[in-house]
Amino acid sequence: MKQAARADSSFPSYNIALSRSLNILMSFESDKAAFKEGLRVGAPTWFGVGAWGLVVGIAMIKAGLTLTQALGMTLLVFAGSAQLASLPLIAAHAPAWVIFATALVVNLRFLIFSAILAPHFSHLPWRTRAWLGFLTGDISVSLFMQRYPEFAEEKGKLAYLKALVFPNWVAWQSGSVIGILLGSQVPTSWGLGFAGTLAILCIMLPLIINRAAFAGVVVAGICALLAVNLPYKLGLLLAVLLGMGTAMMLEEFLEGKKTAVKPEPATSGKGQEREQS
Amino acid sequence: MSDWEIWLVIILLTLATFIARSGFWLVGHHINLPKRVQEALRYAPACALAAIIVPDLLLANGQVEVGLDNPRLLAGLLATAFFLVRKNMLQTIFFGMAVFTYIRLGL
Repeated sequence: MKQAARADSSFPSYNIALSRSLNILMSFESDKAAFKEGLRVGAPTWFGVGAWGLVVGIAMIKAGLTLTQALGMTLLVFAGSAQLASLPLIAAHAPAWVIFATALVVNLRFLIFSAILAPHFSHLPWRTRAWLGFLTGDISVSLFMQRYPEFAEEKGKLAYLKALVFPNWVAWQSGSVIGILLGSQVPTSWGLGFAGTLAILCIMLPLIINRAAFAGVVVAGICALLAVNLPYKLGLLLAVLLGMGTAMMLEEFLEGKKTAVKPEPATSGKGQEREQS
Repeated sequence: MSDWEIWLVIILLTLATFIARSGFWLVGHHINLPKRVQEALRYAPACALAAIIVPDLLLANGQVEVGLDNPRLLAGLLATAFFLVRKNMLQTIFFGMAVFTYIRLGL
């Protein structure tokens, strides 16, 4: 119960109602059945993941990385949005710690995901947990949460997650490698690097989950523009802090107003109301 | 950036992924993040991504260009509208690149 409530409040975009109806499904009889079902559920996403890898692969080459560096980055880092975010900073010779901090901020959503998923697998040896967590990206998390919205001791959970995570890794890496090889063949004048900007745009838009988030994004964007000439690309971190602060203050203000006007439904339907606004 | 600096960045990025994805898996058991912390974490990625792309869309040769004759801005705006309707990342990237290329080459 607690699990689902937390998932609901942190990422309302996941359809919890759908998750609950899926949860009525029987639990798996064997790990093999769970693995097969995981493959079936994950398969429609493979192409998209591969294509997304392709875009990041091209963007890495277009940002000036060598073939070896780009291959190293995709194989080691394995986080598309953090990689894309780092590229303009690398091109602008930002200091390593600023790039690291930026990647951490972009990756913060995984911290919430891992807090939700980790309890399901706390019985595994730490080494397994380390690599399993590392491989579990956005899509695997959301598909897993649709099947297991609440914590439950059930057979086949591990096999199910593996069936989501392994093909996802293969699809992403294949796409990336093709993009890296392709990227070096395409002349810079084609402007393919802009595909990376568009890709970031497509990741950002669904994250604007309410008015507060929208305000935060606007403030962060304007601030980044005004502070673009600050040394060490510090304008970026400043923009994130101010944007975040704006979003949180506005959320508090809107919530305060809501509870003042109608105190009764504020406890039961807060999540949904926030989602609609 | 020199070769070793880029490799340093790659290793730091790997570490950043590892901390965010595996951190709580290693802590194990049930974790309760305070509500305020969850909210802050929820808004941060969108702000960071906005801070990265807004200068990319609006700056041309160090100058802010907010006119519609800025191909990046126009392509970005149209791609935003396209994404909000179609909710499809790949199609949006293709569409945005097509618009961008079309304007840039003055077709």
